[in-house]
Amino acid sequence: MSFHHGELLLITVNHETVSMEDRERYSLDESQIRTLYQRLHRSPDIEESLILNTCNRFELYTKTSDPRNGISIVFKTLQDFYKIDIQELESHASTRYGPEAIKHLIEVSAGLRSQITGEAEIFGQVKEAYAMCQNLGYAGKLINRMVQKGFQAVKLIRNSTPIGEGQINISNVAVDLSMKIFGALHKTSVLIIGTGEIGEKTAKALNSRGANEFGIASHSSERAEIASHRWGGSPRNLENIQSYLNEYDIVISSTDAERPILDARVLSEIVRARKNRPLFLIDLGMPRNFDPSCEEMEDVFLYNLDDLAEIAEANLKERKAAIKRSEEIADQKSVSIWRMLESRGLVNFQ
Amino acid sequence: MILLGLEDRQWIFLATVVFASTTGLATYAALRLRRKSSRAYTLALVSFGWILQTIGLYARGLQYGGCPLSNRYELVQFMVWSAIALYIFVGPAFRVSLLGMFTSAFATIFSILSLTFDSWDTATGAPIFGDSPWIEAHAALALFSYGTFGILALTSAMYLLQSRSLKQKKMGGFFPFLPSLFELTSINLRLLLIGFMILSSSLAIGSVYWTRETGAVDVPKLSATIAVWLAYGILLLLRYRQFLSYKQFSWACIGVFVAALLSLEAVDSSSSKEASLNQYVPLSTKR
Repeated sequence: MSFHHGELLLITVNHETVSMEDRERYSLDESQIRTLYQRLHRSPDIEESLILNTCNRFELYTKTSDPRNGISIVFKTLQDFYKIDIQELESHASTRYGPEAIKHLIEVSAGLRSQITGEAEIFGQVKEAYAMCQNLGYAGKLINRMVQKGFQAVKLIRNSTPIGEGQINISNVAVDLSMKIFGALHKTSVLIIGTGEIGEKTAKALNSRGANEFGIASHSSERAEIASHRWGGSPRNLENIQSYLNEYDIVISSTDAERPILDARVLSEIVRARKNRPLFLIDLGMPRNFDPSCEEMEDVFLYNLDDLAEIAEANLKERKAAIKRSEEIADQKSVSIWRMLESRGLVNFQ
Repeated sequence: MILLGLEDRQWIFLATVVFASTTGLATYAALRLRRKSSRAYTLALVSFGWILQTIGLYARGLQYGGCPLSNRYELVQFMVWSAIALYIFVGPAFRVSLLGMFTSAFATIFSILSLTFDSWDTATGAPIFGDSPWIEAHAALALFSYGTFGILALTSAMYLLQSRSLKQKKMGGFFPFLPSLFELTSINLRLLLIGFMILSSSLAIGSVYWTRETGAVDVPKLSATIAVWLAYGILLLLRYRQFLSYKQFSWACIGVFVAALLSLEAVDSSSSKEASLNQYVPLSTKR
C-alpha cells in the first residue's frame, strides 16, 4: 500500500463497485453519522473528516496526522462501527489519496459518477454533508479549502460543459417542451387523460415547475374523482371531452383506449376556438391515444412516447459525450487544489 | 471625414468587424460548444461595436451638420444603428436569449452590404433637411422605426425557427437557447406597437411640412412611406383581432420588413434629389 499523499485519504463504497444489497449495509441516518464522526475522532491521528452518505454511496474523507497508519485506523473504526469483517470491508471499499481524493470529490459533486450522468441532486447532497460536518466541527482548514475550491471546480464543469444540460427522463422532457411553448407554466392549465403512473409523474413534474390548474379525465367518473382527490385538480368525464378540451393548454393522455381519443376532425373545432393559442398534446398511451393527423394542425404540437424517449436519449448521449472534458477539468483542478494545500503547509508534512 | 485619426467609413468597418465577431463567437458557443453565450458578454461586445459605429456616423454627420441620411449607405447604417440602440437600451428588458447574436448578425449583413456597394454611398451626399430640425427629426424617427421593425423581423424569425423545431421535433441547433413561443409572440406585439408608434410620430411631423408644401415630396417617396405605415398598421390590427395565426403574423412581419427595405430605394432617390436642390457644399466629399 502506498502512503504517498496519505494525509488526505478517501474511502468510498458506491454503486460503481458494489451491489445494492451491499450498499444498503453502509447506509446511515443522521444520528448514526454523528456517532461515526465521534468514533473516528476518538483517535488523535484523525484531524478532520467529512462523511457523504447518499442512497448510492458512502464516502469518508479524512485528514490524518499519521499518513503511514491513517488508513488502518480508519478501516479499524469502520470495521467496529459496521461490525463487518475487515476483508469484506476492504473488498467493498475503494481508497484514494491526495489529489485523487479531491478529483473524486469534484467528479461526484458534478454528477460525473452518478447513476444518471450529470444529475444535479448530488451536488446538493454534498453541500448538505459539508454543512453538517462544519456544524459538528469536524471540518478544519484542509477539508474547508478542499471542499470550497472543489465546489468552484464543480461550477466550472457544470457551466462550461453540457454535462447537466437537457432532460433525460420522459416526464421532465415533456415539462421542458411545455416551457418551450408556453414559457412560465403558472398560467397554463393541464388535462390528464387516464389515471396511470406515467401520467401522474408527468403531472407532478409540471406541477413542480409552476402548473397548478389540472383536470383529470377518465372513462370512469369514480377513478377520475379518486385521482383528482389524490393529485389535486378537478375530475372530468372523458365521454364529453370536446366540451371542455378548449380550456386546457397541455393534454397528457395515457389510457389503453383501442381507438384514438382525438383526431384532426374533432381537434379542428377546438383549435379554432382557441384563437391561435398553442395546444400541446402529450401522448403516452399505447396504442396511441391521439391520431397522428392532429400533428398537421397549426398551433398543435403532438409528442408521443417514442418522441419523448428519443429526446431523452439524445440528451443523455450529449451528457455522456461531455464526461471526458469534465474529467479533464476535474483532473486539472484537483492537482491545482492539492498544490495550493501544499503551499499552505496543510499537506505533505511527512 | 476624418475623426480621431480614422475616416468615417473606417470606423464603420471596425464596427462591422466587431458585429461579425460577436455573431461568430455566439454562434460557435451555441452550435459547437452547446453553450449559451452570456447575455452580458454579448451586450458588451455589441455595445462596443455600436460605439464605433456611432463615431463613424458622427464623423459623417459633421460633414452635413446633421444626421447622415442623404444616401442609401447612410440610410442603411442609420437603420442598423437604430436597431442596435434598441437592442442595447430596450433589449435587456425582453430577456431574450440569442437576441444579441441575431441582432449582431443583422448588423453584420447590412453593414457589409452597405460597405460593399460603392454606388450606395454616392458622393452627392448632402443634407436634405435645410434649416429645419423637425424634418431631420422626421427622417431620424422614420429610420429608427425601421430599426425597430428590423428587430421585429429578427424575433419573428426566432419564432418561426422555434416553432419549426417543435413541430419537426428537432431539438438541435439553436433550439435549447431560444425563448418560448409565448415570450416571442408577446415581444413581437410590443415591438410592432413601438415601431408603429415611432413611424406614426415621424409621419405626423412630416405631414405638417407636407401640407404646407405638397410638391416638396416626391410621389414615390410619399406612396412608399404611407404604404409601409399602412402595412404595419393593418398587421397590428390583424394581430389584435386575432385574424392571423402567430406563424402567419411572423411571416408577415418579415415580409413587410423586406418590403419596407425595398421602399428605401424610393426614399433614397427622393432624398438625393432634395439634397441636390439644397445645393449644400460638404466640408469634405473625400471618401
